[in-house]
Amino acid sequence: MSEPLDPASLPIRSTLDIVTARHAARELCERLGFGKADQTRLATAVSELARNVIQYAGVGTCLIEDESDAHSRRIQVRIEDQGPGIPNLELALTDGYSTSGGLGAGLPGTRRLTDVFQIESVPGSTRVTIALVKPR
Amino acid sequence: MNTAFQRLQHDQRAELLADWLQHLTTTFDRHHAHPSSLDIQREVLFNAILATLAGVPSDDFRLDPESELGRHLSRLIAEQARQLANPADSIGSLLALKSILARALIALDAESPVIDELLWLDRVFDGLSLFAFKSFVDIRERLIAEQSLSLLELSTPVLRVWHQVLLLPLVGVIDTQRARQVTERLLESIAQYEARVTILDLTGVPVLDTSVAQHLMKTIDAARLLGTRIVMTGISPEGAQTLTKLGIRFADVISRATLRAGIAEALLIVGRRIAPLNEERPA
Amino acid sequence: MRIPILRLERILLVSIQVDLTDNDAMQFQSDLVERVAEIEALGVAIDITALDVVDSYMARVINDTANMVRLLGAEVVICGIQPFVALTLIEMGRGLLGADCAFNLSQALEMLKRRIAERGDTRFIGDEDV
Repeated sequence: MSEPLDPASLPIRSTLDIVTARHAARELCERLGFGKADQTRLATAVSELARNVIQYAGVGTCLIEDESDAHSRRIQVRIEDQGPGIPNLELALTDGYSTSGGLGAGLPGTRRLTDVFQIESVPGSTRVTIALVKPR
Repeated sequence: MNTAFQRLQHDQRAELLADWLQHLTTTFDRHHAHPSSLDIQREVLFNAILATLAGVPSDDFRLDPESELGRHLSRLIAEQARQLANPADSIGSLLALKSILARALIALDAESPVIDELLWLDRVFDGLSLFAFKSFVDIRERLIAEQSLSLLELSTPVLRVWHQVLLLPLVGVIDTQRARQVTERLLESIAQYEARVTILDLTGVPVLDTSVAQHLMKTIDAARLLGTRIVMTGISPEGAQTLTKLGIRFADVISRATLRAGIAEALLIVGRRIAPLNEERPA
Repeated sequence: MRIPILRLERILLVSIQVDLTDNDAMQFQSDLVERVAEIEALGVAIDITALDVVDSYMARVINDTANMVRLLGAEVVICGIQPFVALTLIEMGRGLLGADCAFNLSQALEMLKRRIAERGDTRFIGDEDV
């Protein structure tokens, strides 16, 4: 097994950083040997989550890590912010629900794109962890 | 003072081995070609079993997979499982050795009882049989998993019917994983061949229910985003009834009863038709 | 970063060649809508071959743009969607992208011309006097 690839920690401060973050996610995904479909899924998911940070919290961070082990390849992305948090998680994960006038596909859509989707949110701290996992 | 097993090991090893191999050849190997490597493997296993029996008996014999005996046994079983041998034969060959050894034990000393030895023999072979059975099943399961994976690869061909016309014949059960794979393949082919029409043939799909329909709709929607028309063929009368009763509508999808009608429709869309040879060609 | 909008008689061709930031996308939307009104365009083809990520925001921008253009009386065709982008969009939710689609600019153009002809509009392509 090769050494895990270096994690990338990126700030999310402006809409330009959304583009940077999804590029970084796609690149690591490709280097870990995921196919183009998975690369696109992850890049799109990161784009959705990073945009949420800009929209609701203003600033945040995006940490992209290689979490592969002997049995599986796994790329994990953790997106955190210190914003107001998501008041009603269940509602936010419902299709078509939006507080921003969007299509309401952001969070539920992201959940469908990824193999792992965890979300912890309280006022002052929101953390979303997503991952793609493939057996070796 | 040697134990009974140590005496067997010392005095009768060669005969017992010959007995066992002879028995196996006549009972189990009749129908199969008999590779000589098998005899060597069996001999190695035989020696390991005798060595274990000649050791100190314990009340609770459990075969350690990492021990020498464990490794020899699992290697032999693995080979048999891969050659698709009958599990009863695999275990049966072990039990044959047990009865040969039991008889040898009893014949060894007709005077003094060998009950302790027989019980020890029993425990060891119980352990071996359980272990053999488990490895056999493990290997078969792995084999099945590998095979179904390669079947999955094979089962989703995307065919070129004509210039810019693709055909995706769906055969078998469509679950989430397979639907994903089919869609990925199809989309790549559509882009590669710039297909203007894709025929989705469902003749080989046994059950059309909500979940299958949902997968199909996703595939169709994604294909349409690339700019291809979808022609669906081969929906059975039952399928049509189920879909309608479930309230599923494939909007904007052309549906034809047979693949043949679907191909004609697809050709029409790309401005072709199939005509008899002697018909006058349009100027 | 401004996206060039090409004119072919009464049809506008836009090819998005770079990964857009949100601001670029909004700029593009208003540029295009203004141009459509300016020349009374009959059709618009938007080529997104170069986009390798279309998230729900971008999908909304494209949809909104298409709707605005239609309100201004022109037909719209999106073309060049990458296979994996299409797959991802559908997995996120069906119907995120509602416009008509074609493979490439040439097919999009063909489709637009056919549509415009079907409209039976007095203003045909090349009929610059109307």
